[in-house]
Amino acid sequence: MALPLGATATPATADSVRRRSWLRWALARLAGVAFVLWAVATVTFFAIRLIPGDPAEAILGGPGSQASKEALAQARSDYGLDLPLGIQYLQYLGRLATGDLGTSYSLRSPVTTVIGQNLGPTLLLALSSLALAVVLALLLALWSSRSGRIASAVGSVLEIIASAVPHFWLAIALILMFSTALGWLPPVSVPGAAGLVLPALTLAVPLAGFLGQVMRESLLDALASPFVLAARARGEGESGVFWRHALRHAAIPAIGLAGWAFGSLISGAVVVETIFARPGIGRSLLSAVQDRDVPLVLGVVLVVAVGYMIVTTLTDLADRFVDPRLRARS
Amino acid sequence: MNRLLPSLAALAAAALLLTGCTAGESASSSTTPVKGGTLVYASGDAEPTCLDPHVGGNYPQALVATQYLESLVSKDKGGKIIPWLATKWTEAADGLSWDFTLKKGVKFTDGSPLTSEAVVANVAHLQDPKTASSTGYLALQKVTKVTAIDDLTARISLSSPDSALLDSLSQTWLAIESPTALKRNQAVNCESPVGTGPFVVKKWNHQQSIQLTRNNSYTSPPADAAHSGPAYLKAIEWRFLPDSASRYAAVQSGTVDVIDNVQPDTIVAAEKQKNLVAVDAPRPGASNRIELNSSIAPFDDEKVREAFIRSADVSGAISSLFFDTTKRSYSPLSSIEKDGYSEPKLFDYDQKAAAKLLDEAGWTQKNAEGYRVKDGKVLELDFPVSTNQSIPAEQSLFEQLQATSKQAGFKVNLHPQDLASWYGALGKNQYNLVSAPYTKVGPDVLRILFDSAGTKPAPSGYFANHAQITDPALDALLEDAAASSDAAERSADYEKAQKIVLEGYYILPLYDQQNHYLLSTKVKGFRAMPTVSTPALYDAWLSR
Repeated sequence: MALPLGATATPATADSVRRRSWLRWALARLAGVAFVLWAVATVTFFAIRLIPGDPAEAILGGPGSQASKEALAQARSDYGLDLPLGIQYLQYLGRLATGDLGTSYSLRSPVTTVIGQNLGPTLLLALSSLALAVVLALLLALWSSRSGRIASAVGSVLEIIASAVPHFWLAIALILMFSTALGWLPPVSVPGAAGLVLPALTLAVPLAGFLGQVMRESLLDALASPFVLAARARGEGESGVFWRHALRHAAIPAIGLAGWAFGSLISGAVVVETIFARPGIGRSLLSAVQDRDVPLVLGVVLVVAVGYMIVTTLTDLADRFVDPRLRARS
Repeated sequence: MNRLLPSLAALAAAALLLTGCTAGESASSSTTPVKGGTLVYASGDAEPTCLDPHVGGNYPQALVATQYLESLVSKDKGGKIIPWLATKWTEAADGLSWDFTLKKGVKFTDGSPLTSEAVVANVAHLQDPKTASSTGYLALQKVTKVTAIDDLTARISLSSPDSALLDSLSQTWLAIESPTALKRNQAVNCESPVGTGPFVVKKWNHQQSIQLTRNNSYTSPPADAAHSGPAYLKAIEWRFLPDSASRYAAVQSGTVDVIDNVQPDTIVAAEKQKNLVAVDAPRPGASNRIELNSSIAPFDDEKVREAFIRSADVSGAISSLFFDTTKRSYSPLSSIEKDGYSEPKLFDYDQKAAAKLLDEAGWTQKNAEGYRVKDGKVLELDFPVSTNQSIPAEQSLFEQLQATSKQAGFKVNLHPQDLASWYGALGKNQYNLVSAPYTKVGPDVLRILFDSAGTKPAPSGYFANHAQITDPALDALLEDAAASSDAAERSADYEKAQKIVLEGYYILPLYDQQNHYLLSTKVKGFRAMPTVSTPALYDAWLSR
């Protein structure tokens, strides 16, 4: 799994061929990333201007701020909003190329700072939810694929319910149960692990439902397939069959879902961070859209797009790692 | 699963049992205030973009700024203006200037003294276009100059007499800040404004909370405060909790001590909780009302306006949707404004009268859906609804109204919109009905809402006269009242003005601007400021 940079310089031809194919793959990826980022920036830049509302008002304290004519004119020229949209767009791309995301209108601080402060909490939430979802899905798939037909049916129903539950409803239900009724956990974010449990669980349950469905089906497939029969014939024990062969098979479609899962976690974070009053980029994005805070919306969308592409790249790499067929082909 | 199911059921049952009997805290009601402790306040309002309420000037800013900024004057419960940072004031005989004498020995929390120069600097700050003040700027429109007569006397000069000056100055948006601090750049001043208040802004964790700590050398409570000297609380954690259900869960579980923006269903639920107390503090200024845009068809015809109001069954809906937590209003003004005038008879629900009025107005035909038609046009009304400003119960109320006015043949189109789009629709005059709150201390709010000057959009597209009334007689009354220093004459003017608005069927009053707080019984000494109904935590303390 060595990346081109880490590869040792042995002159073996097979190695250099493999390295060249890696390089080509990496370059194609990079070009794709650049294109997607440009497209995301462009679409968002124009889309946010299609919704009514004056960014100059956002600068002056939000819509309906009753700002005076002078103040509006001042704000427009300060932020270059009096220029034609095309010029603004080019200026924006120019700044973006140098890594400058601009200054948030509503928070009055650089977008990079705002995102820097909020990315950590969101990543922590997303990763904890992902881990929790995988554990939940695995447990459910394990139990339901090995405990007979009724268990399988029950598992399937549970998964469908879990994946269909909307985040806002689940969040309120969990708050009512674990905070209001049982008093075990705080209903809103507090510092420390206790404040993370309910938000992470809210995001994890629907995700676990999806992952569980996919994993159980491929587990059942795998357990009934010839390679498992062969393993058994070689004298592999039941748990060996399960962990070493079947689960690996079942992991492939689940890994393929990771990119989608990342998207779902980020969109879920908008809801969950608002309900539990957690800091994070989801909450920043929501208030930025409501305030017509163009630089912050663009900044968050770009960061999420980058995150999405990192995840899909990692997914591809992980696929190659788990699935030997892909490695052989390259 | 066979083992999981029963345990889940048991868990759910336990949950139900426990919700039924959350034990109220045993009332260890000592009346001696306890010093120290951190009070956690959870606000459902938007997070301010700037903590200095001079900049912009909206309600979320006033909520938190009440803790660290103070005004020249305040109001007592009876609505009388009382001393705060100013100990006395005198109006010149011609009404064109006011002399304010400041309290001696008051210091801002950055150490600079409160002098008349501070008043000069604050008015200049509010009037400077670079500050981008809206509320404070509008309130000071008649102020031409402020002069420091001596160290503790400031003279405010006016272009014409202003009976609303004291009311205006009592508002948090016109609080007095340290002139030294105001000289810093705006971004810094927005992060940590400096006043004379009982608390100091220590740190603002954006999109999370504001940390406030006690001002230990505090000396300037308003005349109606319960104690003197520094506040009891050591600190306040001011959190932003936008979701109303989790806000309620947070105060119920004790994670926070006080919440605002309490919804009607929550108020009713909280009544059964022994550990919670509700405080109802309607906002001053205008009542919540639906305004009928009289500048465009069909509401340019008074008969159609009256027909709409007769066909809207609001009282029953308010009672059921708000669970009787608020009273129906029949006045353009909030019930806490003593000059408010009500005329309930004008708003009797009467479908027959509505039908007759529509016939008279020429809307005689009906289409297949039952809507009235005139010259091939359906009797349609566009109603942009701000989902930021109208709480869910209010949005349901509008749906009820849509249903009852349909019986008379009105087709009401509700357009739920976010704030920016909503202001956009108003700016383009694309509405027949609208409900917009307006908070201001004193009856002068009538001039802002109903003077014909308010129909001209400001450069931002904003205008306050949504009913678009242009009536010279009304303008004259409102201007006369604003300039009159005789209280009785002013009241008479305001009554006549409100009669014109009500009897012209320009508005459908609903109820006071809702403002409910819910506190844990641990919190003692909490009150809402009689000025703008923001929470005052100076006298508050936490019992243990």
